[in-house]
Amino acid sequence: MASVSGSSRGARRIRAPRFALAIPAWAWFVLFFLIPVLWIVYYSFGYKPDIFRPIATDKLSFGRYAEGLSGSFLHVFSQTLQISIIGTLLCLLIGFPFAYWLATRVTAKWRGVLLGLVIVPFFVNFLIRTVAWLIILAPNGPVSTLLQRWGLRAEPLHLLETRAAVQIGVVYNYLALMILPLFVTLDRLDPAMREASKDLGANRWGTFRQVTLPMASTGIIAGLLLVFIPLTGDYITPLVLGGAKGNMAGAMVASQFVAGQNWALGAAQAVILIFLILGTIAVFALAGLAIRSIARARRRIVLPAAAEGAG
Amino acid sequence: MADNDEDGGLNILASETFAKRISRRAFMGGSVAVAFAGGTALLAACSKASTSGSSGGASAGPIEDELNFLHWAAYDDPNLFKKFTQQFGPKTSITTYTSNEDALTKLLIAGGSGGYDIVVPTGPYIPLFVKNGLLQELDLSRIPNFKNIDTKFTNQSWDPNNAHSVIKDWGSTGWIYDKSQISRPIKTWSDFIDVAMHEASGNFSLLDAQNEVAGVYFWANGIDWTTTDPADLDAYEAWTKQMAPHVKSFESYPGYQFSSGNWALSHVWNGDARQGFNSFKDPSRYEWGLGAPQTELWMDNWTIATGAPHPNAAYAFIDFILDPKNSLQDLEFHGYNTGITGVEDAAKAAGAKFLDMVFFTDAQLATTRPQVINSAFEREVEIFTNMKAAAGG
Repeated sequence: MASVSGSSRGARRIRAPRFALAIPAWAWFVLFFLIPVLWIVYYSFGYKPDIFRPIATDKLSFGRYAEGLSGSFLHVFSQTLQISIIGTLLCLLIGFPFAYWLATRVTAKWRGVLLGLVIVPFFVNFLIRTVAWLIILAPNGPVSTLLQRWGLRAEPLHLLETRAAVQIGVVYNYLALMILPLFVTLDRLDPAMREASKDLGANRWGTFRQVTLPMASTGIIAGLLLVFIPLTGDYITPLVLGGAKGNMAGAMVASQFVAGQNWALGAAQAVILIFLILGTIAVFALAGLAIRSIARARRRIVLPAAAEGAG
Repeated sequence: MADNDEDGGLNILASETFAKRISRRAFMGGSVAVAFAGGTALLAACSKASTSGSSGGASAGPIEDELNFLHWAAYDDPNLFKKFTQQFGPKTSITTYTSNEDALTKLLIAGGSGGYDIVVPTGPYIPLFVKNGLLQELDLSRIPNFKNIDTKFTNQSWDPNNAHSVIKDWGSTGWIYDKSQISRPIKTWSDFIDVAMHEASGNFSLLDAQNEVAGVYFWANGIDWTTTDPADLDAYEAWTKQMAPHVKSFESYPGYQFSSGNWALSHVWNGDARQGFNSFKDPSRYEWGLGAPQTELWMDNWTIATGAPHPNAAYAFIDFILDPKNSLQDLEFHGYNTGITGVEDAAKAAGAKFLDMVFFTDAQLATTRPQVINSAFEREVEIFTNMKAAAGG
């Protein structure tokens, strides 16, 4: 259409505002993220009027928050936090060596193939991936049967519907989200940096601690966030693998919305979950900053010449 | 039960007559049943012929090309849906719900515009659906196969004269256990609780339905499960706190997954238990028991939603599924009594297995009690929600 106006050659071309490129993304986020979240916040102040209506908002109160943080629900939140913190750290412990190996030890030819293999599970639906475990890990399933046949276990394997099953399941489901950002940062590290460190007399551990790790910190932080946030809100893994014992907050919120038909309480618990995630990140970020500044202060070397110059 | 009736409002939805009528009728059954059985073959033959001709009905237009169910999960033989589509044309689609409360809410929120045609509520809930204007009145003349239903299952107290519903099937609740893991027999709900708290602790499932779990406690302790006495409810709540740490999972359909070995003991609906037995390599290793000394009696029903976009297809389907042959095929799949006259003999003649889990004896029927939705309902929902959260500890 714009070319039609080509006849008026001297006319000023209509220029799109600078933020035009971001408009589709903004529209998407406002429409499908911000508005629904605000709606949830609004619902969380409502209440359940009777057994067959899920929500009413004619009287607003903090009542659902008090309810959502009481007794057994609080327990589910603390269990969620335990599972998600342990799960995120396990992802880091398992993912970092792998990403490091991939970035520094594997030839470029194989790197792409191996990275592709890391992503392969994502081609299968999250739910299906998790449900598959029900078959593999069932007490009468193949793993249990083999372990017994080889004499490694006397009893059938009772792993499903425990907290351990959820813990293993979340690590499996989110590990790739840790490996990818770690690999990207480690891959960009110039090998010359490590060589220089070695030349300057640092041993392997010293090089890792003082060169590789600080330079990979952005990737580590990205990986931690990418894993921790969705993992804390995950409800499919606990629903499928957790049974009564491996309940997590995401599943609890879902059950309030679906089975309990109590949208006000579910909404309040969802908001509590958001704050729980933000709060945990804040605590860890502050702790991280504190550790870094202490480490810097301890490592600080004041060169005599520089000290004179300053004085 | 009398005080339930006096409470008014929600409480008058009692359907005690259902249980009484079944057992009383069943008592007289013996000779009558034989007489009926003879007629069934005839009825079956007639209805088969009449299916295609009559489904149009006087006021009906042509059958639409779609039919949408709001339905319990995996509750009918998928081949029957295929057969229906082949025979009448409409493509079927199913949206599932997990409880009657869930179904009611879905319909309430949609306000008649949800696009659902057929819904399958449980008996005592039907008056609530009707009160909220969610169900159409049925024109029984458009369901010629209605005549195939045993009159024990028509004209129920919750829906006089089948104004809004016709039976889909009915069933009860009990347990299933693995004898290689549990050596003592489970005969009553008290045994069930005792085994659950001892040798099966951390290794059993309860139904993910609040009324069923309440039933376990009340039946074991000789309390009418329709009780509204606050002292009974307090005692039930105290029991849930004791029980919660022993529960491995809350699972509504443990039967068909029971062979995975995930549980030594499961609280289960009879049809689902039977699906389990059908899947076992060695059925003699497992045991099924109907709840005792008392247990539940529930009845699910075909209804047509208000604002159903495909009413003619809905009528055609209900008539189709009430055809004795189709009904028997469905029974063999889901394992619940469909209430069609002579279905028990037909199932036996067809060589269906594990029929003791589908058809109950008169003595068993005398112990079954229907649910009542009364003033205790809300409290029981809350107790159950807390129990599920506590089970995570």
